[in-house]
Amino acid sequence: MREILIIGNGISGMMCAIRCAEHGLHVRLVAPGPSEQSQSVMAAGGINAVTEDHEDGDAIDCHVEDTLKGGAYIAGRNSVYGLCSHAEEIIQYLEKIGTVFTINEKGRPAFRAFGGQSHKRTYYCGSSTGKQIVSALTMECRRFEGQGLITRVQRQHFYSALIEDGICYGAILYDEKSRTLIPVYADALVMATGGQNCLYGKTTGSGRCDGYAVGKLFMQGAVLKNLEFIQYHPTTLETPQKRMLVSEAVRGEGGRLFYFDGEKKVYFMEDKFGPRGNLMTRDVISREIISTGKDVFLDISFMDKKLIDSKIPEVRDLCEKYRGIDISKMPIPVAPSVHFFMGGLAVHKDHESSFKNLYGIGECASMYHGANRLGGNSLLAACYSGMVAADSIYGKNLSEKHPDFTGFISTEQKNLKKRLNSYSSFAAMHIRDMLADTMREHMSIVRSEESLKQGIEDVSYLLSVVDRINYDPSVSAYANYSLKGILTLGKAALTCAQARKESRGAHYRTDYPQSQKEYETATLISYENGNYKVSLDMEHVYEN
Amino acid sequence: MKIKILRQKTPETNPYWECFEYNGTKEISVAGMLDQLNFGDDILNDQGLKTDRIGWDCSCLQGVCGACAMVINEVPALACETFLKNLKGETVTLRPLRKFPVIHDLIVDRSIIHENLKITDIYIGEYNPKADEDHDLQYTAAKCLKCGLCLEVCPNYTVGKSFFGAVYANDCYLVHERNTNKAKDIHVSYAKHFGNACSKALSCMEVCPVHISSLASMSKLNRV
Repeated sequence: MREILIIGNGISGMMCAIRCAEHGLHVRLVAPGPSEQSQSVMAAGGINAVTEDHEDGDAIDCHVEDTLKGGAYIAGRNSVYGLCSHAEEIIQYLEKIGTVFTINEKGRPAFRAFGGQSHKRTYYCGSSTGKQIVSALTMECRRFEGQGLITRVQRQHFYSALIEDGICYGAILYDEKSRTLIPVYADALVMATGGQNCLYGKTTGSGRCDGYAVGKLFMQGAVLKNLEFIQYHPTTLETPQKRMLVSEAVRGEGGRLFYFDGEKKVYFMEDKFGPRGNLMTRDVISREIISTGKDVFLDISFMDKKLIDSKIPEVRDLCEKYRGIDISKMPIPVAPSVHFFMGGLAVHKDHESSFKNLYGIGECASMYHGANRLGGNSLLAACYSGMVAADSIYGKNLSEKHPDFTGFISTEQKNLKKRLNSYSSFAAMHIRDMLADTMREHMSIVRSEESLKQGIEDVSYLLSVVDRINYDPSVSAYANYSLKGILTLGKAALTCAQARKESRGAHYRTDYPQSQKEYETATLISYENGNYKVSLDMEHVYEN
Repeated sequence: MKIKILRQKTPETNPYWECFEYNGTKEISVAGMLDQLNFGDDILNDQGLKTDRIGWDCSCLQGVCGACAMVINEVPALACETFLKNLKGETVTLRPLRKFPVIHDLIVDRSIIHENLKITDIYIGEYNPKADEDHDLQYTAAKCLKCGLCLEVCPNYTVGKSFFGAVYANDCYLVHERNTNKAKDIHVSYAKHFGNACSKALSCMEVCPVHISSLASMSKLNRV
């Protein structure tokens, strides 16, 4: 039987696993923990779809146009059409397997308005859409686990892919229990490893999404795309453990952003953009907050306490629990933070990467979102990409005999052993922290040539020493061996940002503040012997 | 503040207590405090001796993934949601959940939760609800983190026995309510692995981080 190896068991990974199993393929679904611990459970907002219940005037073409416009016209129209035209099928599927959607008075899944969209079309499950979808998919996976078609493996981590002559034959995994590397040959390898949060330290997302897999594949020759496009969420609350997202709902309910000038409150968004200034898009607000150079607050304390309790109870609880702030009495101190990565593995319309039989799905792949993502499109893309990849894998003749990787595997085993047996009190996390400081400073919301150049220099230095340091072996082996891949990805992202000499979507340069026609396409980056090669995808090799 | 942790290097080795001094803010969760202990330049125990970094699991750090479940001052709880300022005394005692095999320090293997649900085929399959759905209860039940706190605190749950605990009952409830065709079969599994042996201590409801009303799930399932 054909064997499919999927790394990552969030929504995209499970969706792909289930679809493969429905096709009769055998899936090994590998992740550090259970699906309940994947970042997907944190997605609160919703999932976009134009269905037969659509709002008057809405159509699939409107969803396509909104997505392309939101992405500043560099996403592929054909792939976006594929996404939007399958959205109804996805909602129906999720409903069928038992997802607890919020329902309307007719008992049908309800939808609501979301930013950047011409119509109401965002289906949701209270304030925990991602979690509810994960719960339903976990049950459906369980059905196929019982049939022996899906095998879940935990406490294993991606180490590297098995690649020869442009074809992928599986992966080497690190097994926490045996502390060894395990080669797993597969007819297709699907990466569903999420975003690149840890490059930036503490973000709104999961600390398990660190970008290592994508960085390592890049070092092995995979092409990456659009790494410069990172969505910042304008209103997040700093806590000692992470940055907590303060939902857009606060601004939707009338919340006002301000800073103090002495005693005086300056409502800078309203001053610049009028009464609806607080409802501007995420990237505009993020840039405006940064440009104030001040501590910014989000105020909703003027709202009736009862309304706060009924409309935004999650925000009330979060501020109270993590910072002891009573939002009915005090404004919330907010700052922008990294939230979503539009860039990642370059994949074709069927989600196959630049290597044959290597697929990328969910947030680790770059697709559909162009230069900026619409709210409600990430859950949709996670579901759809998993489906598309599974269908593509099923439709292919995958019976390639794998070459002999014994030499490669034993060299890697030796490298890891050496790393595990070295001794020092220096924790690998310190290098991650240094990288995060650099990335936050130089890949921030507002960028410039000089700053990006400095960032590249800083990361290059870390890369030059990373293999010469001995690390504290009591930190997990994964945290140690993942450093080089993560640093390499960081440098690649800075390099992409330096190459795009314009401003577009989430990428803003003070030295090139306007969009330029000649840059109206995706950025591609590849790696060869330590050299980073950037180009623009003028021929639309990917996405279309 | 003294932090006393029950540690264990590997599943095969013996557990041992080790203490640490923590002098930072109390306006921090146990998760944040563990991070601070771990990632100074060095990690020293309260004897001033260099020791291993403390193993613990986390992912979301905001109470929605359940990875950081542990026993804090003898109460099973999520480390990311338990704040030092709310703990009594000057010593915080941390130990791994006792009902699961320890992998390393505060990290345990909770795969039995999934295994029990898998071997008894607990899945909805095809949405086919009852006419009088309790939507709110289903929504809350589907938020279950599978963190294992309800099993840790349950007087009836013992590893390896046929009683699978509240985490099992709640998934049974979801299937029962969302696919009427499976209601009968599910009821058999539920009775065998939960209903017949639950002594209704209801301590599971006190520790549940997402406040699932297991009692309400039970009453629906017992009604058949």
